[in-house]
Amino acid sequence: MESTPNPEGGDVRIEKVLVANRGEIAVRVLRSLRELHIRSAVIYSEADRASLPVLLADEAYRIGPAPSNESYLRADAVVELAVSIGADAIHPGYGFLSENADFAKRCEEAGVQFIGPPSSAIAAMGSKIESRRLMIDAGGPVVPGGRDPLADEDAALAFAEVVGYPVMLKASAGGGGKGMRRVDAAGHLAAAFREARSEAASAFGDDAVYLEKFIEEPRHIEIQILGDRHGKVVSLGERECSLQRRNQKVLEEAPSPVVDKDLRHRMGEAAVRAAEAVGYTNAGTVEFLVDKHGDFFFLEMNTRLQVEHPVTELVTGLDLVRAQIDVVRGHALDARFDDVQPRGHAIEVRLYAEDPFRNFAPSPGRLEILRWPDGPGIRVDAGVYEGAEIPIYYDPMIAKLIAWGEDRTQAIERLGRALTEMRLEGISTSTPLFERILADEDFRAGRLDITMLERKLASGEWMPEDKPSGDLSIVAAAIAHAIRQQQVTSTPGAGADPGRGHRDRWRQAARRESTGGGTWI
Amino acid sequence: MDLIVTRGEREVEVSLDRREDGRWVVDVGDESYTVDVADAGELLSLRLAEGTESARDHVGRQFEVAVRRLSSRGSCTYQVSSRRGTDHVSVTDPLTHLLQQANPGAAGGGVVEALMPGRVVEVLVAEGADVAKGQGVVVLEAMKMKNEIPAELDGSVKKIHVEAGQNVDAGDPLFEVG
Repeated sequence: MESTPNPEGGDVRIEKVLVANRGEIAVRVLRSLRELHIRSAVIYSEADRASLPVLLADEAYRIGPAPSNESYLRADAVVELAVSIGADAIHPGYGFLSENADFAKRCEEAGVQFIGPPSSAIAAMGSKIESRRLMIDAGGPVVPGGRDPLADEDAALAFAEVVGYPVMLKASAGGGGKGMRRVDAAGHLAAAFREARSEAASAFGDDAVYLEKFIEEPRHIEIQILGDRHGKVVSLGERECSLQRRNQKVLEEAPSPVVDKDLRHRMGEAAVRAAEAVGYTNAGTVEFLVDKHGDFFFLEMNTRLQVEHPVTELVTGLDLVRAQIDVVRGHALDARFDDVQPRGHAIEVRLYAEDPFRNFAPSPGRLEILRWPDGPGIRVDAGVYEGAEIPIYYDPMIAKLIAWGEDRTQAIERLGRALTEMRLEGISTSTPLFERILADEDFRAGRLDITMLERKLASGEWMPEDKPSGDLSIVAAAIAHAIRQQQVTSTPGAGADPGRGHRDRWRQAARRESTGGGTWI
Repeated sequence: MDLIVTRGEREVEVSLDRREDGRWVVDVGDESYTVDVADAGELLSLRLAEGTESARDHVGRQFEVAVRRLSSRGSCTYQVSSRRGTDHVSVTDPLTHLLQQANPGAAGGGVVEALMPGRVVEVLVAEGADVAKGQGVVVLEAMKMKNEIPAELDGSVKKIHVEAGQNVDAGDPLFEVG
């Protein structure tokens, strides 16, 4: 099949696809399948019997009980199902089995197309050490430094000269900042080296220390690549994903506010080289750290469709899921994919079922009210509907809200407007956090780095001030209570007004509130 | 209708009256609010028609609030969510409230319920053990996050309703301290 570079169509027939995932990404894949008139099937766990993808797919098959390792992670059962229902291909989505080289291999062996890269490429990029070595061999930029412990101060000084200041000393056994020292000039290195060693020794019982370049104000910027099965790999531009919490992306945008055409070109070339080095095909993402000087360093490669792919779709006009399927069909990437430049600006926020102001406590439960925003420039990729239960077993992300504008400012304003239209109640969501981010001066100015979100959260500047005092919740609960009592007693008027004359007595009985006067909200 | 409403640390007396024009007049402590209510199941749309001083700026505005009853043991606990976030509010009739004050632990006063669905991963103390207010008794897990559920008062654990591995729904009793 490698020998038919025919843009009209390859020679691999894809007439039915099994989607081996759940939630919003399963819905996203189903949408492209429907548009392509490809029959769709989806797997589901016991907890997802009434989930949106199950309702939307042409066919749905129960794969096991609720816990992921008994359902969505059962590689053998998924391949077996695909064969038995006559699926030509499996789309793994993200998470679950998507970066499991063994699963991809089993698909290949069973004669089912894996909609993703070859298993060998997944395996090669699966190890941080191996992928870093591959990147160095491919001439790509990595964070300068080495994992080898430094013998003494002189070795540290010599190595720092090679790497260039500022540098970071790190404990080999390390973690949690122990044994870490930033050093800006050679004069301070010897002392810092001794301190780091003794700190490492007391924290980990191991005084081995290594050194790497310190990345100043690092941003997380990644390149979307796409490779066909005829040896062509292209870059589709970057996404800025610096707003993260606990290494989880919270908001992503394309293009990056700091990437110009020249940097985009250079990063794109480095990403394509990395992909070519492992014989990559299909969609993938090469992640980089970019410092304040515009130098970029390879982090890792994600060998799947990313959560944040819609921002790339909105600024390029491409359908990445369709492109993935076309690649598997054997289509060659044509001129539409050459030198892709972003048009306008797109921003995505991830809606999590969690309460950002109660330490991000998870908030599963029933979605009592759900009204999505709409209008110019708004896209919603959701895996839920009104009345749906958010199960306790899986990742708390329930939907993504994406805005497109002619420029970054318009995209921000549209996203902000959409957030005010949205009603998502019955559970807590991360929505209030996004309102604060969009209003933040640093964010609006494009001044981002990977520590910014956690720094701002820790500072408390975004915490709501009026939370403990508002009467709105009290009034709503009291009215709901009264309405329900009325329904229970069913006597018209009963319970609604059992004599206000008693009020004074109850006033005495009740402990007077001590937290000051009420306010409405 | 007179009620005692508790929200976090704040406990306040609330009096409700439904006027002939259908509007509700709700007194919360010293504040008074008049609201138009559209009631659609668990969703209430409140439009503030009149309010005392502190609410003046919000008159005419619409507030959509989802109110879900979590339990009705002694007090009724409601989960109230709006664009401003989610609250837990408990509503008690004054008689039950008096009983609870006279005898904490009776009338459901010492029962701790699950505020969200989840799985019990660990029970930290045995029935009969003494616990202090704030001490963790049960560990609940939801969406791969663990939460310790503490005792709400000093006392001994009278009953543990759950065991490790069990799934619970919002409103299910977890344990009782008396």
